[in-house]
Amino acid sequence: MDPQSTIILGKAIGAGLAMIGAAGGGIGIGLAVGGAVQAMGRNPDHTPTIQTNMILGVAFAEAVAIYALVVSLIILFVLS
Amino acid sequence: MDGVLDTLGINPGLMLIWLIAFIVLYTVLTRFIYDPLTNVLNERRNRIAKGLEDAAAAARARENAEAEAENILAQARGEAQKFIDEARGRGEDVAGTIESEARQEAARIQYDAQNEAVAIRNTELGNLRDQVLNISVAVASRILEENISKTKQKALVNSFITDLPDGAKGIGGSVEVVSAMPLTVAEQRKITSEVGADDAEFSVDPSILGGLIVRWAGGIVDGSVRAQLNELTRSLN
Amino acid sequence: MNSFWNGKRRFVALLMFLAGVFVALEVPPVIPFIQLPGEKFPEGFDIPFTGIRWTNTMVGSVIVWVVLLLFVVYVSRRRPKDGNEAPPGGFYYLFEVLFEGLMGFVGGIAGGRHFRVIFNMFMTIFLVVLMANWMELVPGVDTIGFIHPHVKEKYDAEKDEYKLVTTDGYEIYQGFLGISYVNGQCNWISPADEAAADEAALASADAARLAAMDEQAVKAAYARYQAAHNGHGDEHAAETTAEADEASAAYDEVLAARVAEKQARADRGCHTGVATAPWQDGYEPYDKTKAKGISLHPDPSSEEAKLVPWVVLPFVRVPSTDLNMTLTIALISFVMIQYIGFKALGIGYLTKFFNFGTLFKSPLGGIDVAVGLLELIGDFAKILSFSFRLLGNIFAGSILLFVMSFLIPILPWPFFILEFFVGVIQALVFALLTAIFMNLATISHHHDDDHDHDEAH
Repeated sequence: MDPQSTIILGKAIGAGLAMIGAAGGGIGIGLAVGGAVQAMGRNPDHTPTIQTNMILGVAFAEAVAIYALVVSLIILFVLS
Repeated sequence: MDGVLDTLGINPGLMLIWLIAFIVLYTVLTRFIYDPLTNVLNERRNRIAKGLEDAAAAARARENAEAEAENILAQARGEAQKFIDEARGRGEDVAGTIESEARQEAARIQYDAQNEAVAIRNTELGNLRDQVLNISVAVASRILEENISKTKQKALVNSFITDLPDGAKGIGGSVEVVSAMPLTVAEQRKITSEVGADDAEFSVDPSILGGLIVRWAGGIVDGSVRAQLNELTRSLN
Repeated sequence: MNSFWNGKRRFVALLMFLAGVFVALEVPPVIPFIQLPGEKFPEGFDIPFTGIRWTNTMVGSVIVWVVLLLFVVYVSRRRPKDGNEAPPGGFYYLFEVLFEGLMGFVGGIAGGRHFRVIFNMFMTIFLVVLMANWMELVPGVDTIGFIHPHVKEKYDAEKDEYKLVTTDGYEIYQGFLGISYVNGQCNWISPADEAAADEAALASADAARLAAMDEQAVKAAYARYQAAHNGHGDEHAAETTAEADEASAAYDEVLAARVAEKQARADRGCHTGVATAPWQDGYEPYDKTKAKGISLHPDPSSEEAKLVPWVVLPFVRVPSTDLNMTLTIALISFVMIQYIGFKALGIGYLTKFFNFGTLFKSPLGGIDVAVGLLELIGDFAKILSFSFRLLGNIFAGSILLFVMSFLIPILPWPFFILEFFVGVIQALVFALLTAIFMNLATISHHHDDDHDHDEAH
């Protein structure tokens, strides 16, 4: 195999592995939204507060997945 | 480090431009949108709150006014009832007066109408009498083939109409004379003098066909053609 | 105007759909070459007074600023002058509803003494980021641009000079309305690769001929042996002719595959056997004049067009896909958080990070110090987290739109709707996190400072 193909192979595998990190973000967002919806169902009066905190929590959880995505993108498009 | 910034595309110059742009945007947006719009929204909120308060006050005032109006209405209704009762009493009196007046008026109108009807009938019958005279003259001259004078013929017929029965002369007092045709004033005067009545009342009844009927307080003399015809019929039967 | 369009909008939509089908068939979509930094414009396009080359993300940024300034003009013209005036309808009313809603939203989170500053910051970040994010939905962004030779400058440390390296790219062709397009059907193949492929085909054909001749040689030897014994001399000549025919047939067969490959490329409208490039082997000393000689909108039939791989260099790219914007706003956000902390709590704000007060008083003082230092690190981490969250989302969104437009050129609408909402949510998250952290910075951690916090409410 020529060196160019090896590099592409390594980049693709690395980017794919990096995206495994997105699973954590997905689980986190699911837990946060699930909890928030339950809380809203039990306590509809506090919906605005719960919603704000939910968006915050989702943003933090998503950030982890986005870091994984950025690493993956950097591997694919920035590394040469 | 330089290489990392290059590969990520970070350029301090471009970042500085962005920083300046952001500060300008922040200032402009704050100065021309956020501050004035916040003031407008606050003013509007206050105005709406004030409007709601005013509306609540107005609603209270209206409730009070409605209660007052209710009182005034109740008073007015009581007074109106009193007025109506009074008016009813007075009205019944007035109605009685009006009714009697109306009755009198009605009676008068009826009387007048009867008189008028009689007068009209008499006039018409007078006209009829002239026609009858002419017809009878024509008929007679045809029958008799005799050229009798018109005046004579008229006199004949007149006498037929105005022939006083035998028992009815020189009676005196108040007399009622019934003729088949209306009588002229001259005839009336003649009959009155022949009867010798102080006061004669003339009436017309075409059903007697001819002659005169004279009634007075003491009796009746029937010289009418109808009576003679009835008698003839009876004798024939 | 309204009555004219009543009932006709559906036909306009249908017409646009049909136009989309036509364009998708006429100009097949191309997956662009994706790179993280904003693409630099060619030589000669410098930002005035700076000497920095324009990048297409910077053009997008300028458009965002201009749109926002026009928006300011529009709103300040339509805005009621006081509370007694009824608001005019239309787009302005939509903005006012949004503004009032967000004001209540931020008021619920950070409605204190510093509400005005926090809200102004929130709203500015929200509007700027929203405008930037929504730019990826505008047709022409990321697709219309210079047709640019895709060559990279590469630093060669050994010779201490920059070199031009040809990379992947497409050929160009003349299409609809006489405009040149990048042809997604034809990957550009460098002359060296083309020649190498030809040579390899020839070599394998030769090998096949030799193999065939070897086989025939054995048969011929046997035939000659028989002929020598049986005395059939005439057959020898005939067999030698057949030998040559079979060997050349094998040669032709192998070469035909290469010819068919070239023909298939030619049938797609691609060039074959391109001319020699100015930097034939891919590495040539960097020479600006050579790069300048290549026009930005080349004639596809010219020899020049065949020399190098071409890509589209879009005039405008979404600014949120450039770290310059996201990092700058993240830095502004970070600075504002610290600024409002100092403004609210004075120098005491620093105790949030350097919490030595309880070190010798409480048994858990050491933990307080560690927590303070963690907060310090966390605050700096916010810069990275803010900038990369926005960049990652919008960059990934742009790539999603590219790929979907390539896979289903006619119906990528659902993804545009998705990106519309992603743009709103990311703008809101960026602005909301800034507002929340600013509010947190104004609240003291210590119990003895709590009355300050109460005053704020």
